[in-house]
Amino acid sequence: MTTEELQNTTADKVVDARGTACPGPLLAAKKAIGEISSGQIMEILSADEGTRRDIPKWATKKGHEYLGTVEDSGFFRIFMKKG
Amino acid sequence: MEENKKMTMALCTGSFDKLIVAGIILSGAVAEDMDVEIYVLLYGAYAFKKENGAKIGTSSEYPELNRELKNSVESMNIPTWVDFFTTAKELGNVKFYICGTAGKIWGGEKVSDFIDLADDICGIGEYVDSAQNADVHMLI
Repeated sequence: MTTEELQNTTADKVVDARGTACPGPLLAAKKAIGEISSGQIMEILSADEGTRRDIPKWATKKGHEYLGTVEDSGFFRIFMKKG
Repeated sequence: MEENKKMTMALCTGSFDKLIVAGIILSGAVAEDMDVEIYVLLYGAYAFKKENGAKIGTSSEYPELNRELKNSVESMNIPTWVDFFTTAKELGNVKFYICGTAGKIWGGEKVSDFIDLADDICGIGEYVDSAQNADVHMLI
């Protein structure tokens, strides 16, 4: 998805993990993915640079679709679709 | 269905800095849906002893950095090692086994002598067998 498309995407679930360092956002994403259905979109907010790389890899490995990351002011918005 | 990958960890340390490292690695393994067995050896068993469970920060590899490390860990909202281990156990298939000899060294013979995270007391043969069958094996 393009940055513009992502910016206009309304996620089914938003996980705000900006207050935690790695591996906090990854664990928060793992917890939250169980709360949505296949095909739904989850957005993870994180200010952690390592998480920006971890979550796309984790999502793909676990059979979900990584949609892209948008940089906001001081944090990242990471989008994925549950497989 | 594909079987989960397995991680075996020998946790010999009671030093809070290394316990945090173990907690972070364990969290990553659980996020990957790995089955994890942690064998708690020597000083690890000391940290797991019921009356010592909360006594963190008394030891680390670089004692002169203890204050800086603790301050940073707190300001970054990084959980304690006990919290890391507890969350990992809630989220995944994680077992903690206390080495029988190590337990006895610190005066603990029954699993109830250790914090609630401990699943059982083990012999070294179980650890070696687990390590032989693990996809990832590490010693901390």
